Amino acid sequence: MSAFLYLVSHSARNRLTGLRTGLRSPRYLAALAVGAFYIWAFLIRPVNRGTVGGPFLLGQPTEMIVTVLTVLTLMSSWIFGSDSTALAFTPAEVSLLFPAPISRRSLMSYKLFRSQIAVLINSLIWVFVLRRGGSLLPGGIRAIAIWTLFSTLNLHRLGAALVRTSWREHSTAGLRRHRASIAVFVLVGIAVAAGLVQHRTELVSAFGAGSFFSALGQALANPPASWALFPFHLVVAPTFAHSIPEWARAIVPALLVLAFHVWWVLRTDAAFEDAAIEASAERARRLEAMKSRRTLGATAKPRKASSTIALAAVGHPAIGIFWKNILCLRRTAQLRLLIGPLAMSIIIGGAIAGEDGGAVGVIAASSLMFAGLLIVFGGRLIRNDLRQDMQHLPLLKTLPVAPGDLMVAEVASGALPMAALQLVLLLVAYAASFGLPFIHLRNETRIALLAAAPFAVLALNGALLTIQNGTAVLFPTWIRLGPAANTGVEALGQNLLASVANLVSLAVALIVPAIIAVGAISVLGPPRAFTLTLLIIVASAVLAAETYFALRLLGRAFAKAEPTLSG
Amino acid sequence: MIEVRDLAKLYGNFTAVRSLSFDVGVGEVLGLVGPNGAGKTTTLRSLAGIIAPSRGSVSIAGHDIQREPIEAKRALAFIPDEPHLFDYLSVEEHLRFIARLYGVTDVDARLPNLLDELELTEKRRSLPGELSRGMRQKLAIACGLLHSPSALILDEPLTGLDPAGIRRMRQTISARAAAGAAVILSSHLLHLVEELCTKLLIVRRGECVAYGTIDDIIARSPDLAGRTLEDVFLALTAESGQTA
Repeated sequence: MSAFLYLVSHSARNRLTGLRTGLRSPRYLAALAVGAFYIWAFLIRPVNRGTVGGPFLLGQPTEMIVTVLTVLTLMSSWIFGSDSTALAFTPAEVSLLFPAPISRRSLMSYKLFRSQIAVLINSLIWVFVLRRGGSLLPGGIRAIAIWTLFSTLNLHRLGAALVRTSWREHSTAGLRRHRASIAVFVLVGIAVAAGLVQHRTELVSAFGAGSFFSALGQALANPPASWALFPFHLVVAPTFAHSIPEWARAIVPALLVLAFHVWWVLRTDAAFEDAAIEASAERARRLEAMKSRRTLGATAKPRKASSTIALAAVGHPAIGIFWKNILCLRRTAQLRLLIGPLAMSIIIGGAIAGEDGGAVGVIAASSLMFAGLLIVFGGRLIRNDLRQDMQHLPLLKTLPVAPGDLMVAEVASGALPMAALQLVLLLVAYAASFGLPFIHLRNETRIALLAAAPFAVLALNGALLTIQNGTAVLFPTWIRLGPAANTGVEALGQNLLASVANLVSLAVALIVPAIIAVGAISVLGPPRAFTLTLLIIVASAVLAAETYFALRLLGRAFAKAEPTLSG
Repeated sequence: MIEVRDLAKLYGNFTAVRSLSFDVGVGEVLGLVGPNGAGKTTTLRSLAGIIAPSRGSVSIAGHDIQREPIEAKRALAFIPDEPHLFDYLSVEEHLRFIARLYGVTDVDARLPNLLDELELTEKRRSLPGELSRGMRQKLAIACGLLHSPSALILDEPLTGLDPAGIRRMRQTISARAAAGAAVILSSHLLHLVEELCTKLLIVRRGECVAYGTIDDIIARSPDLAGRTLEDVFLALTAESGQTA
């Protein structure tokens, strides 16, 4: 165990040393300050309890909902498997610790000890969140309750993962070995299901989330479901205690449940190596995806080459870069990331269209909303450009392609598909918007806007993606590129600063087109039809010219960019 | 074909490469050897245009890599020890992509032979994620060889290859040199260097400690006469206080 303590303490010490060294860099210091301020402002900053309307987060309905969610989470761990994060080792740990003469119980104890770091951080975050919800308990007392809850959940998921792996790997023998655990899980499931069946009429007839959860609570508060859920109530209860005596009464049973879980998991170590290797591989895959995605969602590695697009051997090399990036867009899961904005657009579009708009109104409003959201978020989600290719900087630098041309091709790889999608959406919105009572635009104006739209969306997307690709070239350490992604408060600050810088850059880029537009309107008066089209085209052309100039400058910067030193 | 003059690369106060000068002519194979951290990869990256030298010049096929990078790179292939491949392009698509960038108009004629030479024919539709480490290395080599470069820079090219692949790669290097390419080969496999290279550049701490044919190098240090290349290397790169 002393070796593990040495590993943990020296890892922490080296991380702190790295942090201290990083603080000498003004950029790092600024990022840390912004990240720390953000955390303080949104989590730690004291709030006026009078403004939050009492302890709404700690009321009886919330306790019941948390209990239900806890049960559902744990049951899903049994049925579908859990991420078993606590079991995941780093590649270095797998290659150094697994062959070492260390008992599996020691290894598991080490992992349980290390997993406490995440549990403690999560507990602290929730202490602050619940304080905002109007906690009536001191922070320390609340923290113990939340830590007990999270630790128990963590251990339960871990135990479930071990049982599942043992069952899968050792078949009947695994089943026999864990028959008690499996039997308890099955009984809980049956009891909960029986409770739901008994109260099916109330559940089905419940209208709205509030009455549904009320009916659900009623179903689970009566036998046999209440018997099965009793241990879960024990664990959740201290977190929702409203006074110190109430907490004191609740915490002892909760700690006993936690102790039982520790005993259970340490005893259920039959499939430890199998489950740990599996969890480690899964974590490595997720980390790789997270580090390479540079997006808000997952960007999976392609598993199979789908049908290709022909590429002529002769022609401008930049087209080759564009072709490669289009294949990237097709074969990675980036397009799936648009599902979120699409769903949001449909919901908001539906709300805007209202009952008067009907299905056609929803289509029109949703299409417009989606096109708008793509301009705002599209560049952050679709990243088949230099932000992806910077991982291959050494390869890119050896290619016989002029850096300026490369920049144009990289930006076009994202901007053109995005603009094409937006144009389709605008066309749909245009077609669907006829006859809608709440749109009062004249037909000539609609046609004028539609005619100018290709120029506007191309220029806007080009400018936005140039800014984001420019960040990758000029400040590669400020955005997630390659495997050396930063984490922690400073990374949060970096993201915030980068986002603000992107917005400021776009605002600066729009100054000249805006001046031209305002000047033209003040001289010529409000534009109509043809003049409106012309005005948008001129403003877009100016923005496009600025973008092209910026791309050429970025090409020079790219020519000077160097990968990190090695060898 | 490859001319390097007074090449230096500094990272802040750290000097990775210090005033290297050498030539690699048509059909020559230069072995670049040195202990870990000697500056070999930095040197090769400077030659390939990946990083800019702090001082000095690099000329590839008569084109300065800094002033005429496109022309110089068109004549060059750099094969790194760690293959850089795009996850989403298949084997064949990688080669077609490279063909477009380097203007290989007869790619359809070259592809079958190259895929066959590197045993990639059956994997032509596979993505890099479906290939073993050795197969990925072969694909990186194929990308480097597709446009028949007149200057070939190889950084530990045999990493991950199986014995048959190593033998084939040795033959390929010899064949490319015999066909007129200037080759720079960086490797810790001294028997390979001894077998393939016509000249040797031994570096230590970014500095040249020996340059020339093996016979020339031994002639300059008579006490090394009759010793193996490994002994020569260890003697020339030993730190003060260490014995060879």
